[in-house]
Amino acid sequence: MSTTANGGSPVVCPQRYHTVPTTVITQAEQQDRYLKHSELNELASYFSSGTKLMEIAATLTQNAEAIVSAGANRIFVWGTPMAYLEKPPNRKNLPGYNVFPRQRITTAPQETLKQQAPFYPFYQDWISKVVDLGRSLLDDKDPVPEGFSPINIRRYGPDRMKKSMRDLSWFLRYVTYAIVAGDSSILTVNVKGLRGIIPEDVTIATVVAMQTMKWKALTYFKADAEAAAIIKQHFDQMIADYQVAKPTVLLRQGVSNDQQGLQLPPSYSSAAAHRPKLVMKPNLSATEKQDAIKAAYRQVFERDITRAYGVSLADLESQVKSGMISMKEFIRHLGQSRLYRKEFYEPFVISRVIELAFRHFLGRGVSSIEEFQEHFAIISKAGLAALINALVDSQEYADYFGEETVPYLRGLGLEAQECRNWGAQIDLFKYSAPVRKVPQFLTLFGDYQKPLPDQHPYGAGNDPLEIQFGAIFPPENTAHTARPAIFDEDSRRILINCGAGLDKGASHSPGLGKAPGSLGTRVLRFNRSAITNGHTLNGKTPKAGQSTNVNFSSSWAEVVIHGTYRQVFGRDVYDGQRQTAAEIKLKSGEITVRDFIRQVAKSRPFRSLYWESLYITKAIEYIHRRLMGRPTYGRREMNHYYDLCARKGFYALVDDILDSSEYLEAFGEDTVPYERYITPRGYALRGLRGELPLPKVAPEDHHNNGFHSSYKGMDYTGVIGVVPHFHRALKHGMPQSAISIKLEEVKQLRAEMTQRAAEQASEDREESSEFSPQPEAVQPVEVAPQ
Amino acid sequence: MSIITRAIASADREARYLSSGELQAIRDFYEAGPQRLRIASILSENEPQIVQLGSQRFWQRCPYTPSNSGNPTFRASCMRDQGWYVRLIVYSVIVGDIEPLQRIGVNGAKEMYTSLEIPLRNLVEALRCLKEVALEMMTVEDASEVAPYFDYLIQGMMP
Repeated sequence: MSTTANGGSPVVCPQRYHTVPTTVITQAEQQDRYLKHSELNELASYFSSGTKLMEIAATLTQNAEAIVSAGANRIFVWGTPMAYLEKPPNRKNLPGYNVFPRQRITTAPQETLKQQAPFYPFYQDWISKVVDLGRSLLDDKDPVPEGFSPINIRRYGPDRMKKSMRDLSWFLRYVTYAIVAGDSSILTVNVKGLRGIIPEDVTIATVVAMQTMKWKALTYFKADAEAAAIIKQHFDQMIADYQVAKPTVLLRQGVSNDQQGLQLPPSYSSAAAHRPKLVMKPNLSATEKQDAIKAAYRQVFERDITRAYGVSLADLESQVKSGMISMKEFIRHLGQSRLYRKEFYEPFVISRVIELAFRHFLGRGVSSIEEFQEHFAIISKAGLAALINALVDSQEYADYFGEETVPYLRGLGLEAQECRNWGAQIDLFKYSAPVRKVPQFLTLFGDYQKPLPDQHPYGAGNDPLEIQFGAIFPPENTAHTARPAIFDEDSRRILINCGAGLDKGASHSPGLGKAPGSLGTRVLRFNRSAITNGHTLNGKTPKAGQSTNVNFSSSWAEVVIHGTYRQVFGRDVYDGQRQTAAEIKLKSGEITVRDFIRQVAKSRPFRSLYWESLYITKAIEYIHRRLMGRPTYGRREMNHYYDLCARKGFYALVDDILDSSEYLEAFGEDTVPYERYITPRGYALRGLRGELPLPKVAPEDHHNNGFHSSYKGMDYTGVIGVVPHFHRALKHGMPQSAISIKLEEVKQLRAEMTQRAAEQASEDREESSEFSPQPEAVQPVEVAPQ
Repeated sequence: MSIITRAIASADREARYLSSGELQAIRDFYEAGPQRLRIASILSENEPQIVQLGSQRFWQRCPYTPSNSGNPTFRASCMRDQGWYVRLIVYSVIVGDIEPLQRIGVNGAKEMYTSLEIPLRNLVEALRCLKEVALEMMTVEDASEVAPYFDYLIQGMMP
């Protein structure tokens, strides 16, 4: 098992309430020791009281409705409050429900819970009300707070009634939980702060209801003083917690209020209260002083040094115990000791030393790059001692810890947490933080500022989204970094142009011919004018002398249809999968190629091939490549498609792609889409052995890194596949002769291409109609030097 | 997390009282309490001995390991860590859940040892020896209660 990090934000699950065992071990764990005898005795008595606690909880559960209705009847008049109590749905008979791990199979399970909401006849409620009132007058009860007056149900309204009844039953439920846990912290965590949520005008009434519920619950345990004491304790705790005003928000000191960071629920801080903050004061007992000193060791050295290293700083300890130096000075001395230097300075790079020192002396991570730079300047100028002095003398240290308090980790629950260094800070607080040698905050802040143009939104690799068999995410070989992805929606993939040169936009490249098919894939264009002129082309070659051929495209209907299937499906289709009706319409000129593609793409086989069997990202990627002729650019584009697919589904996706202005500009009505761009990785995959074909020259950058770094600041989309290799070769010191020869070749090749493209373009202007298929075009991969 | 907190969490999620099955599971937990405490006290009182015997057995099986190389620091830290794991197992036994062991002892520990260049195979072997020595000190019943925690730890350290 290994820990995994996602996006720099480790999962945190604080223990929010405690049971007796967890309380005991939390304290033992904080002090790295075994359980004391007193704690073991506490546990033993807790375990032996278990049967009693179970009985109490079972009885309360059994009589839950009576107890809640007693509370409700006390504060509501003119109506039956129990009619408003909503119950959770009955799932008792569903399979798997109510089966608990380690449940002992008993012969006859004793069913104690009422599962069906009973019908409350008015008279029964009324009778119980009167009986309860009469009894409660006889019993001695808590004094009713001043200013209490019963609430009229009719005036209160059904909505608020429902909420009130829900809350009353909720209070009782948590009391049963607390009884089972043997610790009332679950009540404190959940009830404290409710006062600010429940309307102020019913606060007193709520208290009265709780008191009545307590009284009613106690009536079931008249003979059992011990059980009564337990119930009383938890109810009293709940009432006391309820009456406390809403806890104030914990603010970070020395930071302006609008930069507080992420505020966490107050229950986190209630939970954190179990770990005491230790203070060194002159009038403490010897053991308490020793505890504080141990806490200081744990904070600064992350362990109890006498146990771990057999070192003790007896002189310093006696000074701090006798009050000659304050805790703050003690901490400073610890930081400047040889042991600290050996453990936390010598094995680390300076950046990591600073991060660890922040943890040890301020109890937090580095907050910003500026703060880091400031302290880096200090340590590089004057050394470790100066850094520790700066931290201990800082205003922040004084605000938080003062002279007497032992520093502590200011993690979740203790104050608002900054978002900027969230994951790194949580990592820093882990036990294993000193093992990590690599600085984390600095690199994180650095990543925030650095644009990373050649990364893709879907992974940490350079461009993992090349479609291969299986998942489009290749298996990650890199170590996990707990750092957030730096991609925003504007990051764009690098794509290599492999189709025709476009004369505008980002892919404009003046060196390329404008004609489609002059370089790259073969282009099929269907000429509808031929049909309107009376030529029917079903499977017949046009007469030789009828036209001069420009080699751009094929208008031969069968070829176009065949090519359409190949492009859209990625392969030839089986006969049963052909869209015969649409083919006939296309041949007769009724629909355009674009409409034909639309029908093919919306057909059943296509849908099952590229939509139903794939997960959504891969489906979109495939369909986009098939219909639009290029991979998606990045997050912004994908977001659009995700949204569209989620709202409207597959057919809308096809329509959206085919109706986009990019499609119309690139292919228009009559051209079959062709592959215009590919990713660098896809390009590499098509080469020999699946690698970029220059292994001898630059063996270290097979993975496109060198490729991209040599092209920083350029827009790659217009560069044809051939050229980068030569730039790379130049950069990496290929033998001069080899380069010159190959550059010669390429220059010649490109000159030829340009010339041919120009000829074709001029012929295109002269001749408006053409029929014969175009010869195979030059593939970029083939001209790549070997 | 313990059995109790887990039961409460699942009941609370559905806004209901604890069911009879859950109460039964908690009652079992309570009834096994004395046994847990007995195991805990056996482990805590005999910790130095367990570590001592476990290390000896480990060095017999794996003579070529950093802690047996004669370096006193390595030796001490190896024994310290073993004591540490015994303590975590005591915590887990008391709570009746692997959570303390997992959070402190297993999560990231493998990475830590790897970065300290400690062979994980030997570490696993050391933990096995620790387990054997500890179980030999108990009755069969107690041993069957505590063995899963050692097994979980060993599983988590597997290279």
